[in-house]
Amino acid sequence: MPEPKDVRAAVTAAVEAAGLPLTDAELEAFVSIYPALRAGADSLYIEAVRYEEPALVFTPVPPVQG
Amino acid sequence: MIGVPSTLTEAAAALRSGTLSSVALTEAVIARADALDGDLGVYITRMDNEALNAAAAADRDFTAGIDRGPLQGIPIGVKDIIATRDAPTTAQSLILNPAWGAGIDAPVVARLRAAGAVITGKTTTMEFAVGMPDANKPFPVPHNPWDLERWPGGSSSGSGAGVAAGLFFGALGTDTGGSIRLPAAYCGITGLKPTYGRVPKSGCAPLGYSLDHIGPMARSARDCAAILEVLAGYDASDPTCSHAAVPPYLAALTGSVKGIRIGVERVNHLTAPNADPVAVAAFEDAAAWFISAGALVEEVAVPYYQEIRSANTVTMRGESTSYHLGDLRTRWEDYGVHTSKAVSQGAIVGAADYVQAQRFRSLARRVVAAMMEPLDVLLMPTALMGAPRLAGLDHTSFMNWPTFTQPWNLLGLPALALPMGFTAAGLPLSMQVVGKPFAEATVLRVGDAYQRKTSFHLERPTGIAAVAA
Repeated sequence: MPEPKDVRAAVTAAVEAAGLPLTDAELEAFVSIYPALRAGADSLYIEAVRYEEPALVFTPVPPVQG
Repeated sequence: MIGVPSTLTEAAAALRSGTLSSVALTEAVIARADALDGDLGVYITRMDNEALNAAAAADRDFTAGIDRGPLQGIPIGVKDIIATRDAPTTAQSLILNPAWGAGIDAPVVARLRAAGAVITGKTTTMEFAVGMPDANKPFPVPHNPWDLERWPGGSSSGSGAGVAAGLFFGALGTDTGGSIRLPAAYCGITGLKPTYGRVPKSGCAPLGYSLDHIGPMARSARDCAAILEVLAGYDASDPTCSHAAVPPYLAALTGSVKGIRIGVERVNHLTAPNADPVAVAAFEDAAAWFISAGALVEEVAVPYYQEIRSANTVTMRGESTSYHLGDLRTRWEDYGVHTSKAVSQGAIVGAADYVQAQRFRSLARRVVAAMMEPLDVLLMPTALMGAPRLAGLDHTSFMNWPTFTQPWNLLGLPALALPMGFTAAGLPLSMQVVGKPFAEATVLRVGDAYQRKTSFHLERPTGIAAVAA
């Protein structure tokens, strides 16, 4: 999957959409880590996964409250 | 002050032989905490009075001929993200509502009490079990007993440092990406992340719902087996908890690895950037020992290793941001500076990415199971470095360290970290034994056999020698 052409714009949009009050320095930290994080997520879109079910389980019976 | 035994097993034997009472043992570890904890930062909350009361009850039981098992009368620490009825649970955070967990024992704590354990206090953690220490927040910064200028690892920092320093004989830790095993590694002790679902995790503040595990930390694999035997088993309050039968872990410790099939994983570990060559050599020595002890050792490669690490990261980011986003929006400054960065990164990965990570997880579970089918366990380093310095710690540096714990959270497999030597500077080094689902007995057997022939796990920390003298 291609990386966004403007990483800063992509990160800024995601952070603003989430309502996170990052400082400028914190935003820069996110911009710096984003390419590796994005590449890691993209590495999971491989043909071998094409017909896999997600490892998620839902049961309609509520669990006992602990 | 009495001499404090080295291990939980030795302490349990002394209690039964009558050479030691639980009250005397508890008084000794309380005195040790008085002397050391100002430097170590092991405890957030000490429960001296409650501990002495529990110790007196354990002694009364011994006198009456009641023996609840090897934890009876043994001082144990509990990580402060796990609820205890008689002390607050803070998650080392200003964020967690003090009403959370108030007056309640998590199932694991209730099981410890029922086994007669003496809970001495709540131990320091990285905030919400993630990130790095933040000295600007009103909580102790944990220090490594091998070198007070170094980090004990995280996030079960106080549990690891406390066992190493002899402030208790076992502890509860939690592990979402290595938080039992890395403090065990850096503090020179033994720690087990059990199979996902083996131990109920209700009553524990979450970090990554599908990655979180509670497990034992202690000096030895035998000590961990004794604790796991108490912790393991189904509890209806945790919907992810397994009904699988709990085998007798202590009885599985034969002292032999003859015929055990071990896959040594070098290819994804030993050439990692920043690996300490001394650590690589220590790992090779350990692998050679298993051959000499009669194990059937072969070279293996974990398939999709880097992708497994990436899927763990995506999963943890998504799950932790889900839990924290409301507070992050309104109380950003109340989080530690490293925590807020760590638990907000789910905002920059997508919902589809999270589901894709779970689809990849299905694939990874299958191909790793196939790789492990002809084996009993895998062997690999926990980390190829000693404990890092506290000064300058940040999340970026963490990403560049040669640590190898995350894959076993994504796959939910049992993983034991145990000491394998020391760096040139005298800091502990650690390897991992990874087993098949619910095969903790085999993992502990392998670790125990190694520890019967080595003494790395019994070495005393050098960083507190002057303080303790």
